[in-house]
Amino acid sequence: MSEVGFYDVRMIDATSTSIVLDNGNIEEISVNYSKGCGARALCGGSWGFTTAEGEFDLKAAIDSASELAAQMNSISPKDEVKLKPVEKPVIKSIPTAKIDPADVPIEEKVQLLKDIEDHAKMDGVSSTSAVYSEASVKVHYISSEGIDCEYSLIRTGFAISAVATENGSYQVGRESRFGVCGFELFEKNDALALARSAGETAVELLGAEQAKGGTLPVILDPELAGVFAHEAVGHASEADLVLEGSSILADRLGEQIASPLVNIIDDPTLHEYGYYPFDSEGVMSSKTTIIKDGVLNSYLHSRETAQALGGTPGNSRAQGYSEPVVRMSNTYIDNGDSNFDEMLEEIGNGMYLTGSRGGQVNTGEGIFQFNAEKGYLIENGEVTRLLRDVSLSGKTLEILNNVALVGNDLKMHSGRCGKSGQLAPVSDGSPHISISKALVGGV
Amino acid sequence: MFEHAQKAIELAEKLGADEAEVYISYNHSISADIRKNTIESAKENVSQGIGIRSIINGAVGFASTNNVSRIEDVINISVSSAKVRDSDPEWTSLPSNAKYPAVSGTYDKRISDIGLDDCIGLTGKMIEGALSVPDVNTTSGSFSTSYNKHLIMNTNGVEIVDEGTGVSGFVDVITTKGDISTAYDFEVSRSLDIDVFGIGASASSLAIRSQNGISIEPKKTNVILHPFAFSDIFENTFEPSIDADNMQKERSSLIGKKEETIATPNLNIIDDGLLEGGIETSISDEEGTPSQRTQIIENGIFKSFLYDNYTAGKDNTSSTGNGMRHSYVSSPSVGPRNLIVEYPSSDVIAGTDEGVFINTVIGAHTANAISGDFSVEARNAFTIKDGQIDKPIKSLMLSGNIFEMLNKVTGAGSDVRKVGGTVVPSLRISEMSIVG
Repeated sequence: MSEVGFYDVRMIDATSTSIVLDNGNIEEISVNYSKGCGARALCGGSWGFTTAEGEFDLKAAIDSASELAAQMNSISPKDEVKLKPVEKPVIKSIPTAKIDPADVPIEEKVQLLKDIEDHAKMDGVSSTSAVYSEASVKVHYISSEGIDCEYSLIRTGFAISAVATENGSYQVGRESRFGVCGFELFEKNDALALARSAGETAVELLGAEQAKGGTLPVILDPELAGVFAHEAVGHASEADLVLEGSSILADRLGEQIASPLVNIIDDPTLHEYGYYPFDSEGVMSSKTTIIKDGVLNSYLHSRETAQALGGTPGNSRAQGYSEPVVRMSNTYIDNGDSNFDEMLEEIGNGMYLTGSRGGQVNTGEGIFQFNAEKGYLIENGEVTRLLRDVSLSGKTLEILNNVALVGNDLKMHSGRCGKSGQLAPVSDGSPHISISKALVGGV
Repeated sequence: MFEHAQKAIELAEKLGADEAEVYISYNHSISADIRKNTIESAKENVSQGIGIRSIINGAVGFASTNNVSRIEDVINISVSSAKVRDSDPEWTSLPSNAKYPAVSGTYDKRISDIGLDDCIGLTGKMIEGALSVPDVNTTSGSFSTSYNKHLIMNTNGVEIVDEGTGVSGFVDVITTKGDISTAYDFEVSRSLDIDVFGIGASASSLAIRSQNGISIEPKKTNVILHPFAFSDIFENTFEPSIDADNMQKERSSLIGKKEETIATPNLNIIDDGLLEGGIETSISDEEGTPSQRTQIIENGIFKSFLYDNYTAGKDNTSSTGNGMRHSYVSSPSVGPRNLIVEYPSSDVIAGTDEGVFINTVIGAHTANAISGDFSVEARNAFTIKDGQIDKPIKSLMLSGNIFEMLNKVTGAGSDVRKVGGTVVPSLRISEMSIVG
């Protein structure tokens, strides 16, 4: 029988506050204090995982994870799992809050949120809501290999949504910004202008035409192209999915899988919403080029997948005390050298899709679906009529190959990504890109 | 943590709360995870926490923690947050103590007693089921059991403790020879009665049958939605529209439609907090209102929104027992219990000359939750010809509007499934728009 050869523990202490405003009234002020840990142990080829909350007993948590791993390995023995060796992380240039949100009186936050919500109100807008959130988290990691490191991080953000109504039709406009920073988020972003833009989007969409589905050339704006990079490419590059046999990118390292204009990068060291100094396995974060000049260059790895497939770990992440899984951080299509006007000219007739209502992907078959917030017809090289309920779906590898032009106006958007039932803060982005052929859905 | 409830209430009152409520939950779960045909890991999670609502002049403050040593801080914050807010004239009161119904099928001792060895055994059977079909691998999956207990106590005399169990099994599979095709299946239950071998076998069989899909022309046709596909669309479109909070904030297409015909006359939709063995069944909702059965659509006519205690007070009506929480970290808001969709059953595929059968969809969460418009990618879809499933379809986009669909339901199978809290058979909808 194997012995437990490895264990690690993440101890987390967090405080979060959220304020929800709805049609001008405070809907909720909510504060949460949480403390706990997630412990992992590896015995042969079996993992044991346990969580403990409150004032936990560290040794008991490790023992309990070790017992699970040992029991699992004796009932269901399998090949030994080896972890890629790593160094103790060196933490440098961690983002700090210039204005600690904890120092800002709650009344001021409520007032700011009311101002934001006010700016989303305009003729045609029937209802608005706004959310503010702040969280400070302290993460302490220890492992049986002697790694012992910690960091503290503050995250702040807000979201605004406006609903416009007319003759029984409803349209929604949304904007949000989240960052690894403090209350200075509101200095870096013009929240009032974003709120106005959410209101305008909702009203504009009331007058938009239903899109007609079909296969066409399209231009994606930075937000939607970022969702494509994240959903369609990023998830398929997660090495746990590659190993379990559910990625279309398996066995394709070194292969030309995209137009040579395409470079896709994951970089947790960027001070964007997906930032972390070390991952949930205590591995120092580093930049990964997933696609280089159209060639599949690297997967994203945990220590286990890096050892199994060859590669660099540092993308193992977890929500709270949950079990770490391979995930993205800040993922983007890198700048090319075209501009939007060139794209319009080259496309002639097609569709321009902007903003995102989210997306989903089947990594095994390499099929994705996502919805744009707005669509515009492109006629004779000009952006013309506004369209609503436009979705884009297709095969990841086909779209990658059909990328015709890559812009030079990279922009990042923050959000949260779901995998294995856990949410993690991420950002994704891109410059404008044009695609020669894509399946656009409408009604 | 449960022993702190009474003291917490007393402290909130002492600090100035007119009313106070404590919600404490405890959850213990054991699960085994599958990765590529092997059982890779075992998890045991114990989670518990306390959430406190304090009300002063109709203003509500809420705070929560999982740390017993912070309970006093949390009570202080919930009271001080209530003080920051303006009084809300529409606040009535927290629920009062009432007579609570009996429920059944929500607790299975076999689940609360289960050990890791049994969990591993059942997970192994799920893999066996999947591998009983040749040329398929399980990529991921999980078998898990949970026991939970919660307490609701407030200053109006509510003091409820309820406990229950749950079990779930799911598996993702992929073909290993020829055309790549994936499929999944899952079952959830309150008792240890799920067919784990069957979950695996059915996912694998679906993946094999979905290989070598054909392309089809865009058209309007009959679409039969499997319970997985229907419930995914339903949860993202219809459910938000029956939420009284959305209605009161003018974010529902059903505003002003009460007593109007909004669906085909054979269709009934019921919210039932008492359903025997229902995933969302409990003696009360999560703020202490007794569970009940609420007719939402009766013979095609829209009868009621779903209310929690606050939204009911605003409309001068009674809560329908739909004050739900995501966990102890959130205060209650309107949420469905077991939503049951009923339509007279028949051999629905056999009765369909031409159409499409769709097992699952991706992207349903991108729907317009107010207007009910959606556009999703259909997976594991098949053509129907002369009353039989004919050929698999490679790629298919399905667009539509949930409220139009409710008027176009023309048939239902007898294959009722509990997809979480949504309880529904396969449903046939006429004139749906598909793009291949």
